[in-house]
Amino acid sequence: MSKLSGFCVAWLLAGAAFALSILLIPRSLAEDAGNLYNTVVDIRLGERYFERQCGRCHGFDATGNDEAGGPDLTGRLTRASTDVAIFNVIRDGIPGTAMLPVPENVTDPQVWQLVAYLDSLRYDPESVVLAGDAESGSDLFWSGSDCADCHMVSGRGSRFGPDLSRIGENRAPDDLLADMLNPQENVAPRWWRLRVTGPDGVSREGYRMNEDSFSVRIMDDDENLWSFHKDDLQSYERIEESTMPSYAQSLSESDLDDIVAYLFSLRREEI
Amino acid sequence: MKRLFLLVAILLSGAFIHVQAQEQQFQTVITPAFTPITWERLVNAADEPQNWLMYSGALDSQRHSLLDQINTENVAELEMKWAYQIPVIDRAETVPLVVDGIMFITEAPSNVTAVDARTGGVYWRYDHDLPEDLRICCGRNNRGVAILGETLFMSTLDAHLVAIDARTGNLLWNTEVAPYASGYSKTAAPLIVKDKVITGIAGGEFGIRGFIDAYDPETGELVWRTYTIPGPGEFGNDTWSGDSWATGGSATWITGSYDAELNQIYWGTGNPGPDWNGDVRLGDNLYSDAVLALNGDTGEIEWYFQFTPHDVHDYDAIQIPILADIEVGGEMRETMLWANRNGFFYTLDRATGEFLYGDTFATVTWASGLDPLGRPIRVPGMAPTYEGVMVSPPIVGATNWYSPAFNPDTGLFYVTSFDGEQEFFKRDEDYEEGERYTGGGGRYTQPMDAFHSSIRAIDPTTVDIVWEFPIMPRSSAGITTTAGGLLFSGSADGFFFALDAETGEELWNVSLSRRVHAAPMTYEVDGEQFVTIASGNVVFTFGLRD
Repeated sequence: MSKLSGFCVAWLLAGAAFALSILLIPRSLAEDAGNLYNTVVDIRLGERYFERQCGRCHGFDATGNDEAGGPDLTGRLTRASTDVAIFNVIRDGIPGTAMLPVPENVTDPQVWQLVAYLDSLRYDPESVVLAGDAESGSDLFWSGSDCADCHMVSGRGSRFGPDLSRIGENRAPDDLLADMLNPQENVAPRWWRLRVTGPDGVSREGYRMNEDSFSVRIMDDDENLWSFHKDDLQSYERIEESTMPSYAQSLSESDLDDIVAYLFSLRREEI
Repeated sequence: MKRLFLLVAILLSGAFIHVQAQEQQFQTVITPAFTPITWERLVNAADEPQNWLMYSGALDSQRHSLLDQINTENVAELEMKWAYQIPVIDRAETVPLVVDGIMFITEAPSNVTAVDARTGGVYWRYDHDLPEDLRICCGRNNRGVAILGETLFMSTLDAHLVAIDARTGNLLWNTEVAPYASGYSKTAAPLIVKDKVITGIAGGEFGIRGFIDAYDPETGELVWRTYTIPGPGEFGNDTWSGDSWATGGSATWITGSYDAELNQIYWGTGNPGPDWNGDVRLGDNLYSDAVLALNGDTGEIEWYFQFTPHDVHDYDAIQIPILADIEVGGEMRETMLWANRNGFFYTLDRATGEFLYGDTFATVTWASGLDPLGRPIRVPGMAPTYEGVMVSPPIVGATNWYSPAFNPDTGLFYVTSFDGEQEFFKRDEDYEEGERYTGGGGRYTQPMDAFHSSIRAIDPTTVDIVWEFPIMPRSSAGITTTAGGLLFSGSADGFFFALDAETGEELWNVSLSRRVHAAPMTYEVDGEQFVTIASGNVVFTFGLRD
């Protein structure tokens, strides 16, 4: 038998097997009955399985792992928007990537428990009861405080702090309040400051727009951008602090609640 | 049924033509002839620096090339000569080999391609069929091949060892090293020792029992196997409580070294399993996190040195043993130099395994130092807990599998190092065959940029850090030095660069834009020196401006 005809036969057999599988094997349970495995116990079991089998790439707490390449699974998922779709990604993997299917001996209920755990990491923003009023918060944000002196929302405001146009997608109300009361906790490296002396001998300070192994880029307080090769710098100092003050004293509790309500409402508009 | 068959045949004929078209892209082209690689040539690999004949360049794994055409004076004139795009999108960890102008590049998941080392033009490509339900801990990787005669030897993710005709890319034999469905896999380049192919195994996160194997290069038959966990009745089995030895990991997933005069193979071993829950495997857990010296003919263990007894932090001793003769206390000693994932640097006598001295080379909080025998002095309260405990180094280690280098001209040892910390968690887990068996995990509480990553040049006679070059964020690139006074390495932010090996001064860099997750290598064709590095999914080759 020539190589070619052997190949043909192999393909035909594979095709026949595939066709038979369509005819004889019931489709996956992942059609659309909703997730029947979403009790507290299921979620806990899903979490245990996740920590053990998925955490290496997606992070022990599912917040992702830049180095391993596994994305954050706690926010909006890019590959799947429904429980069934999440189920299918876990069951079948994503071909051609490091996202392998779970082993066959993992049962469908176990996969559903994983789905339930991932669902538990998200919440429906509509279900959140807020103490403040978003409209009053908006007024405060734009005219009753100095928020907009640094932050930008939908192209309006300033660039001396993080753009908040979609902040409600990533931060829960409690997080937003904590950000305003304790801005020095967990300052993102992008908002650190750098104080550098360039080859011209002039010392400049600014926001750490970018830093890699060989270069830095800062934006000074007049919004000028400066790029330097690290090799050319006469001095380099990193200030791992935020320029944002705490609003614990300067805003009332109800004002803070209103601003939280406004910020929490800032999310991508559904199309 | 007949009708169904006919229907399927018609449906698939379109797919078949499509596949045939794809096949033609990779039609076999024979490589130019090269002088077959004998064992003598491998022993003396450093003497033919135009070639790069094994993963670490030479059997002593110093990763130091005698080529000096590219040097500290002209390195700034480097320019890209060619790039080879790996067709499968994944992370490239390959260190290519070069034999007489032919380069062999391994690709994810388990393929190898022969290209013209002057142009990157493809001669042939071997595609290894893999099952879909692989058990791999950390991505689809392959780090390189070994060569003997005209045959390449490669590890595959389904835990096979394959032999491939280096001239044509044809498969010669395909041996199952271990059953992949039980959690075994293979990623590292094998090492040729005399007339055998020496190779390790991965799967330390799946409760395997590790080993080092020797295969007959002609037939693919197993010649000997040395388990890295002693069985019942063997010395060291009592360092595992109960039956924990049977699922104790101790994988061997990076390439070792060989000393021809001592006839010893040196190979590092990985973490005991489960990684972060030591309660179920009380004892020192021999020979996990150790280096083994094996007899070069029989594979018998001649000595061992365990860096991290009863490890609970995943501090694999999966580093490349560097063999170097250096002056210790006024006399020349045959030493082994080892910067370990656990944060300590060790100098051992490689003939006997005697610990000569050691010290930290990065931030370490789990141990306060080493005792006179080289055992770590543990700090209480650093074992993982259910709630989490902060420890340095983090799970990825103070260094890891990234190739270090030793430059006899400077006398310095170079290593990619990391000062970081991580919360370690413990979990209770039962072993299930083929499932992960890690007993916990880790979590960073700070952004990566808050930590410090660098290349450190260490004086191995004092463990002093002579210089360091900061890179960011955490690097996982290997290092190569040359007689041109240069050190080449890469960074996670996609740079490939050259430093002055003596001073650490930055001499040249280029942004390749994707993570460098491999070690550089250098070679020469027609009198012209080249340097090659994999970045992202591409293999780049640089040379001096014409």
